[in-house]
Order: sequence, then structure tokens, then C-alpha cells
Amino acid sequence: MQKSTIQYLVINSLLAVVLFSCGSVTKNYTPKKLDKTSYEVPYFSDSKTDYVYKTNITVYGNELSGIFIAKKINDTTHRIVFTTDFGNKLFDFEISETTFKINSIVSELDRKILINTLEEDFRLLLKNKYLIQEQFENDFFNIYKSADKNRDNYLFLTKKDQKLEKVIHSSQTKEKFTVLFSSENNIFAEKIQIIHQNIKLEITLNYLKSEI
Amino acid sequence: MKTKLYIFLFFLNIFSISIFAQEQKMTAAEIASFKDDVNIVSKKIKTLSTDFIQYKHLDFLSKDIETSGKMIFKEPYLLQWQYKKPYNYSIVFKNGKILINDEGKKSAVDIGNSKIFGRINKLIVGSVSGNMFDDKEFTISYFKVKGQNLAKFIPKDATLKKYIKQIELTFDKEEATVVQVKLLESSDDYTRIVLKNKVINAKIDDSVFSN
Repeated sequence: MQKSTIQYLVINSLLAVVLFSCGSVTKNYTPKKLDKTSYEVPYFSDSKTDYVYKTNITVYGNELSGIFIAKKINDTTHRIVFTTDFGNKLFDFEISETTFKINSIVSELDRKILINTLEEDFRLLLKNKYLIQEQFENDFFNIYKSADKNRDNYLFLTKKDQKLEKVIHSSQTKEKFTVLFSSENNIFAEKIQIIHQNIKLEITLNYLKSEI
Repeated sequence: MKTKLYIFLFFLNIFSISIFAQEQKMTAAEIASFKDDVNIVSKKIKTLSTDFIQYKHLDFLSKDIETSGKMIFKEPYLLQWQYKKPYNYSIVFKNGKILINDEGKKSAVDIGNSKIFGRINKLIVGSVSGNMFDDKEFTISYFKVKGQNLAKFIPKDATLKKYIKQIELTFDKEEATVVQVKLLESSDDYTRIVLKNKVINAKIDDSVFSN
């Protein structure tokens, strides 16, 4: 009786460990010894650069087009503005790891649930530094796991040239949303996609080259 | 080093004086004659096409965001606003519909009797043709600037005011047509649109407004 209880406990706890550590994101990847304990993202990190993107937001089949602008205004904070193609401001936020300030938002977009989602998306998009607790790999990527309150971020860096191409924001059981980066020089991301897994929301950013 | 600073300050001074001297309020007679000039020209406009460069100014950016393209208008309510650089985006106002072509991706919005879009249409056409002086929705003030006339429109309506703090139209003195549209937002940020290569009353086919 006692033996079977112990067996049961062992199996159970093993199962728990397996479920816990693999989650849904890393189940196809091989654990690896940590080669770094932190990672700094190059994109959006330069305070002298105006980051300007032509942007399409698709939300439940509705399309919203405009221009997304981000600028690092001090060590911790980015100013982010979204305008229509005509230039009217739709929203204007200031965001850091821990703070969020709404400078302005048009009444049509002034919905708590939308603002919370955008806040979460943009915070991850602009996040500059990750502390790493675990590492995995597959053929193409080194995958770094970084705790984010009660959730986790998984960073996918190419093995070939150490470029950050993907960040998955995930709960213990489910992927919430993914940020995809395409960068030629590993300093500036020309194309970015934010894709939600649980709601029909996708944000696509394409670098707006300003030379005319 | 010190001399350089003085020279710099001197020029800065001249510069700021000239800025203050730039805008001069029109007299009542000047306002009347200016409005007449513009009304005569804008009444003759059956079609209008113009190139434009749009400068989006946000105070915290180091550089204005530049986009450019072409605007085509045909009486009474056909309007196409087309961005060509650095990306292709075109919007057509036609028969109560807004047709959008975003880099080849097409969509349409039925605005029907939507009051706000009717207003926007009227506003764009009015801004470019200059025929906005009879508009009861604005408080208007008139200024003379070197070689140009300037009219400032402040919306009376609270809803419109939320989006636009002020519209400034700059007119060429000789031709009495609009050369620049400046839309000021509630903060100190603005959109400045410079109109160039204007062609009035060339034949424009309706099919242009198909998107």
C-alpha cells in the first residue's frame, strides 16, 4: 500500500515537473546548459532614432491602417504614438517596464480591454532586457526562457547570427501572443508582427523609409 | 568663441523679430477683399488636382515624418487622396462610400449619411479649394504674411475640437489659392500639407475615382 502510494507520488511529481518545465512552448526543444543569464534587445534601444512604421492592425476582421511611432525618451521609457495615414493621432502613450501613461486616445479606441491588450503588446515589443533562467535549442534557434511575473517569455535567437527573431509570451499552459522580428543588421527591425493566439488580433509593422 | 556666440545671438534676434513681424492682422477691408478673391477663384473650380507633401510633426521626434502623393477633386463630391511615397495608400470619397486601397489590399466603408464623414469630406475639399469662409462651424481670423494670406479656423463643435484644435490655410496672394494646409492637434503637434503643381479645371474622368 505504502509502496504504491510512493510510486504514485513519484509518478505524479515527475509528471508535474515534466508538464511544468516543458510547457507547451518548449516541448519540441532540447534543454541546454545556460550560455548567458541576460539578453539585451537591440531593436528600439537607441534614443536618437525615430522608429517609424507603416502599420496595419487587424482585429476580428476589421482593418485599421496608420503610422506607428516609437521613441526612447529616457533610460526606462518609450513614447509611442499611432496616427492615421492623414496624421491624426489615435493614441499617444508613454510606457516602461512598470509604468503606463495615456497622453491621449480617441474616444472610439478608449476601451479598457483594448488599452490593456495594447499595453501588454507594446511593453513586450519595446522590452529591452531579459533575465534568463532556462535554455533550450533546436536545429536553428537557441531558445531562452525568461520569467515575466506569473508568465514566461521565450526568446528565439538564431544560431547562425544571434538575431532575435521571435518572442513568445506564454502562461504555464498556453501561448498568449508572439512577436516576430525581421532584421537585416541585427540593430533595426524592418518588419515586425504581433500575433495573438487567443484573440483575433494581429499588428503588422513595416519600416517607413522617409526619403522621398 | 565669444564673438561667435554674439553673432549667433544677433542672428537669432533678427530671426525672432522677423517671426513676430510675420503675421499681421488684416483690416476689415482687407478681409472682405481677400474673401472675395478666394470665392471668385474657388467658385470656378470644377476639378482640381495637386501634388502634396505631408509633414507630420510630433514634438518628441527629431525629424518630421514625410509622405507624399496626389489629390484629385471633381465637383461636387468626388475626392481621391493618394499617397505614393514611401508607400501606396489611396482613399476615395464617392457616393457615400469610402474606398481604400492599401498597397493593393482593397476595402470599402459605407458611410451612408454619416455626419462626421460628410464633414470630413467637406473639410478636405474646403481646405484645398479655400472655400471655407461661409462655414458656420469655425471661428475664423485673418492675417497677412509676407507675400501670402493666412486664415485660421477654430472649430466651434466640441466633437471636432477633440481632433483638430485649429486649421490654418495659407493662400498665394496673387492666385488666391491654397498653398499650405496645417492641422493643429490639441497638443503642440501638427500635420502640415504643402500643395504643389496645382491644375485647375483639367478634364478628369469619373473612372479616376474607382480605386
